[in-house]
Amino acid sequence: MSRYGMALDYKNCINCKACEVACKEENGVLLGADKHRIWVGANDVDGEWPLLDIVSATFMPSQCQQCEDAPCQSVCPTNATYYDENDVVRVDPDKCILCSYCMNACPYDARYVDDRTMTVDKCNFCSDTRLSRGDTTTACQNTCPTKVRTFGDLDDPESEISELLRTREHFSLKAHLGTKPKLYYLT
Amino acid sequence: MQVEVSRRRFLQGSVAMSIVGGASVGVTNLLAGHTEEKGELSITTKTGTGKATEVATLCEMCVNKCAALARVEDGVVTKLNPNPLFPKSKNMLCPRGNAGIQALYDPDRLKSPMIRVGEKGEGKFKKATWAEAYDAILNGTDKFTGMAKILEEEKDNRSAFLFCAGEGMAEHTFKTFYSAFGSSNWLNHASLCLQTVVSGYGVTLGGYPESDLENAEYIIMAGANRAEAIVTPDTMDIFKRTKGRGAKLICIDPRFTNTAAKADKWLAINPGTDLAFVLALTFVVIQEELYNKEYVANHVNGFDKYKVNILDNKYTPEWAEKITGIKAKDIYQIARDFMAHAPKAIYYPGRRSTFANNDFQLRRAMAIFQGLSGGIDTKGGLVFGKKLKLDSHEGLEPIYDRAKARAVNKVERTKGQVGYSDCAVVSGGGSWVGWRNRYLENKMPYNVRGMFIYKHNPMMNMPNIAKTAEMFKKMELVVAIDTMPSDSVMYADVVLPECHYLERTDPVKTFGGSQPSIAQRNKVLEPMFDTKPVIEIMGGLTQKISRPLFHISKKYDADIRDELANLNGKTAKEREAEVYEEFNLHKPFEHSQEYINQQMVQDIYGKEAVKSLRDNGVFYPNMDKYFKKLSENEHQYYPEKHKSYTVNGGRAKTNTNKVECYLPNLAKKGVDPMPKWHEQYLFTVPDGKFRLLTGRHAQFTQSGTANNIVLRDLMNENYIWINRRVAKKRNIEFGDMIEVSSKVGKTTLRAYPTEKIGPNTVFFVHGFGEESEELTWAYKNGGNDNAVIEDIIEPVYGASSMHETNVEIRKV
Amino acid sequence: MSETTKTAEAVQEQSFIAKAKEFVFTIPVNKVSIKDLRDFEKTPRNNFIAVLTLAFIAMFVVGVAIYLSQGHHAYNVTREHPWGLLIAVYIFFVVSSTGLCIVGSLGDVFGFKDYELIAKRAIFGSIVTILAGFAVIAFEIGHPVTMLIYNVLSPGLTSAIWWMGTLYGIYLTFMIIEFVFLLKNDMKMAKIFGLSGLLVGLAAHSNLGSVFGFLNARPISNGVFYPTYFILTAFITGIFIAFIIMGIRYKNVFPEAVKTMLTGLAKIQALLLSILIFFVTWKMLTDIYGGMPNRADVALHILGSWTFWAEVILAMLIPLIVILKDYGKSHVLLVWVSLAGMVGIFFMRYNLVHDTQLKPLQMMKIREYQLVPEWIHYFPSATEIMISLGGVGLCIAMYYVGSKVFNLDADH
Repeated sequence: MSRYGMALDYKNCINCKACEVACKEENGVLLGADKHRIWVGANDVDGEWPLLDIVSATFMPSQCQQCEDAPCQSVCPTNATYYDENDVVRVDPDKCILCSYCMNACPYDARYVDDRTMTVDKCNFCSDTRLSRGDTTTACQNTCPTKVRTFGDLDDPESEISELLRTREHFSLKAHLGTKPKLYYLT
Repeated sequence: MQVEVSRRRFLQGSVAMSIVGGASVGVTNLLAGHTEEKGELSITTKTGTGKATEVATLCEMCVNKCAALARVEDGVVTKLNPNPLFPKSKNMLCPRGNAGIQALYDPDRLKSPMIRVGEKGEGKFKKATWAEAYDAILNGTDKFTGMAKILEEEKDNRSAFLFCAGEGMAEHTFKTFYSAFGSSNWLNHASLCLQTVVSGYGVTLGGYPESDLENAEYIIMAGANRAEAIVTPDTMDIFKRTKGRGAKLICIDPRFTNTAAKADKWLAINPGTDLAFVLALTFVVIQEELYNKEYVANHVNGFDKYKVNILDNKYTPEWAEKITGIKAKDIYQIARDFMAHAPKAIYYPGRRSTFANNDFQLRRAMAIFQGLSGGIDTKGGLVFGKKLKLDSHEGLEPIYDRAKARAVNKVERTKGQVGYSDCAVVSGGGSWVGWRNRYLENKMPYNVRGMFIYKHNPMMNMPNIAKTAEMFKKMELVVAIDTMPSDSVMYADVVLPECHYLERTDPVKTFGGSQPSIAQRNKVLEPMFDTKPVIEIMGGLTQKISRPLFHISKKYDADIRDELANLNGKTAKEREAEVYEEFNLHKPFEHSQEYINQQMVQDIYGKEAVKSLRDNGVFYPNMDKYFKKLSENEHQYYPEKHKSYTVNGGRAKTNTNKVECYLPNLAKKGVDPMPKWHEQYLFTVPDGKFRLLTGRHAQFTQSGTANNIVLRDLMNENYIWINRRVAKKRNIEFGDMIEVSSKVGKTTLRAYPTEKIGPNTVFFVHGFGEESEELTWAYKNGGNDNAVIEDIIEPVYGASSMHETNVEIRKV
Repeated sequence: MSETTKTAEAVQEQSFIAKAKEFVFTIPVNKVSIKDLRDFEKTPRNNFIAVLTLAFIAMFVVGVAIYLSQGHHAYNVTREHPWGLLIAVYIFFVVSSTGLCIVGSLGDVFGFKDYELIAKRAIFGSIVTILAGFAVIAFEIGHPVTMLIYNVLSPGLTSAIWWMGTLYGIYLTFMIIEFVFLLKNDMKMAKIFGLSGLLVGLAAHSNLGSVFGFLNARPISNGVFYPTYFILTAFITGIFIAFIIMGIRYKNVFPEAVKTMLTGLAKIQALLLSILIFFVTWKMLTDIYGGMPNRADVALHILGSWTFWAEVILAMLIPLIVILKDYGKSHVLLVWVSLAGMVGIFFMRYNLVHDTQLKPLQMMKIREYQLVPEWIHYFPSATEIMISLGGVGLCIAMYYVGSKVFNLDADH
């Protein structure tokens, strides 16, 4: 029983998208540009060449924010979306009726339809692949060239992620919505 | 016109060869376009929780050779994970590394040997057995001439065959064949790639150094794009430390790249004017006496001359501002900051293609500037590092009396000094474009009639593809060894399918640096289809051709006949067998790669090393003691005190152990002995035209990955960057089709109006727009830069200058 | 003892079954054959409607076939715009149903005598429209059977969709029972089930509004507006349909009693439309000037879309003006206006669904060569359009058959 979370040192991100491919390969996510569990977002840089606004050109790795109060979970009519024993927000494809309400309700665009099962799919922290065979981390964390991510148990005060969150300032995405994400962006 | 004839001088038929590792080469040419997808493919596999094996291998999606662990379930590679043990790749795999599975299972892979039955370049082949393919190479078919006939007609001039190869771990094996075959015409990617940077640093510092980006505090990255053109470990080391986190990164680039986005400062520079920028930095440093005086006095040669050159020519920041477009105050600031941080300051060498004609001198100027800071062979600066030794193994270099030297033409370059028609210096890799153009212009000193290509795609990788196509058509016998039906393979007469890198063990390789190691690519799966590793392909081919070729040599080579005549008390038959051994092309390919690798490692490092390379893919002395996992994101490879930052007392590795500012030998060849600015280096673009820039992208490695379906998810095609305001004026919107044309050709691709590029330049990623219909996803996907780039060669090494072409654009 | 009890139970059971049988068999129905169904006045207009209806039903069959073979690929729904035309059409039908239920309840539940004569038609209409709605949504929900199972086994009590679906199921049951009692002229029982049905229907319908109102990711929809607005617009829709069905029933030649009722309905409609316009005006004003991020810009974008103005002009302004002109006495004109009004109501539903999803939730570029996400575009696929028109076809067909089988006129 853990409470998994992830800290993202997002300033390290160079938008190479290794994490996206690793995620697809690990979790058998279908090909197609809109079928992705995780992604890296980029802004168009502000300003006019050559006086461009470097700080506007940030790269934001993102995925399901693993909310503690997940809107996608509370709107699911059949509880197909559930919190597992490690507090990971997951989808039970057997119960999913594909009403797509969760896709509309998720503030992070983290859900998509898996065309094989025709059910909604999303990041599950590699729970049914890596974690289930005893690995301690996710595919995206593992492959990252600049080591953006730190994955771990938020309930374990000795974990690397707990230490990071104690010592580094951080923020959450769309925190004002009260979803209490378990993804933390380190500043 | 004079022909240089010099025989290779070897006393024995066989010669010891060792594999050279370390700084390897990045290729620069590749791109793909868009097509309608043929059906739907869903070829990602979810990893399972059941039984699996992990094989340590090395990636070959680009040149970096990162260490990977291949997860195999039920005989299927389900995942490639980073191997944490390798100091070079530091537990990471980039998107391409992850997408290696898709290359393995690419339905378009070459699946069996093929023999051409259609017209050359038409792409019509018949499936063949290996024996049939080897026979076709030796004896030809009704469609093309065989090797035996060519050699017969050329009277055993082995140089009648051209050999060319792209970068790769098995390139060495192919080169072994080339050496044994006895041709002098070897061309590789160097002149399309990092020829000038490696040479510039080589002659100035005595070697192409690594950059200690883990410890540098101030880095100028000009014309290098480590966020997109990933180089390990540089990419991993630098970007964790920019943005006020330990290292200040100054990015100089005409484009706002992802590296610019991660830099602390980005300065747009006019293409091809970096030399003026470096000269101005040098001016500030000399005039304000900011350089490391002690270091310069002891370890720099010819500084006084250089100082005069810089000061007398008044290479001031104000002068440079007009040329480069970078403000003088920025140049002052950067020069002062750099020296304030020295020796933990790096002017990053980079390792890209030659962009401008002055590139060699630019590299010299950069290396000298670094020398003035004293940041050489020292922590936080440029380091040479250590390289772990490997044993040699047997190769074969017979002497063929009739084999002529490399097909180059000598000319008088300066009064009384002989040089070459293509360029001042001919390097081992040759000048590809120079060679090709002379071949087409019939300026070869002798007939070259056949060619072997290994993992090389001249149709995509070299400027002016129309000429490359012509060259292929003119070649009477083209043998291509590749994994994919590339544009060049379409021009082959015989196609020999290599297996994928996950299906073979390749030559063990040593990787130098401050944390040196040895790594080995281990076979993960048996080759699929009727494909083989190069060592077996060469083995089979040499078995077929060795003796027939020997008989041709016997006929034309007086030396061989002399040797045979001298019986030394043996029978003629015995004597012939003995002499044949010197010419037995099959000899280097008798052993398996696994056996050869063991031979190269075991005596020096013991059985443990062999085992570690096989099981872990990596070995270095004391690895078991030194290697530690510090956290999920950090590993220790060597303790700090055992890292090889300084290996030459902080000095350059030239013969004099000094940084060479002035090279009289260059002057003899008509090349500036010191970096100087010339008016013709100025960046000018005629009204209405644009300077075409090309470059890399993190999700593609040139044309080699253009057909990779999972990478296409990340970038479906290349777009041409056009300044947003210019595009608006020309009524060009995002996604509009644009025809780009130059003197040599045209290509069509979609528009990407953006402020990330200046008004008189355009850019698109290399590697797209392939014409091979056998490539489902790459076929006509995007635009091909080499259809447009003019074949302009840089004067010193004959490298292709990729950024010297002006183009017109038109909405279509 | 036990034997006796059992026997008694059995007898009771038997008698219950017998009673139920009797109850069912005594529902007054007309015997109709296929021939009767083909028997309608062959005016050009009727012929046209018949052909159109058959064409729509054929489209439904084709659309469903495409859906069954291709799944959601047949629809233009995407990750960013997961709800498409079918959701809008479903809402269109269930709002119609609720509206008709309200109109039908005016007479038999609330005792407005003038409106009793439309009760049966309205209640039957509410059954027909919700069935059409279910027919459409069955091909939007990816797994309708799974839904039936896990709706019971694993109810998501925090989900507005669960409440909406479940309550609509109960509502439909109540409406059918009420209709039966109406047919049997058992006004007392009709009233009980009518009231229950109305309450459940209102609950279901406001829950449908809350499906949008609960979305905290979507500031344009979040809040109390939609649940209340849904009830208001349902009533309006019900009155539009009332005009249409009475127009058809009487071929636009109305008896006095019907005229009285229609004038009354028109006056109510004018009042409701005024309230709606007031609501929508203030929703727009607060959206735009309230300055909430992701709401003001969306509202402005909506103002610039033609579909919004189609809704406002067809469903609000024209009907209101026509009614106010002579206090709802131009009945025939109002039938036509109501038809246009229903087109406006369709856009109202379409806009609701589309506008909720207008603003991307992820505003960064995830690929180098794309434009920065701005507004999500959506246009229904042919399959979606076919199934939607099919819903209309089913609705007309069911109503037509019903009007033959049942006596939908008030008994005098």
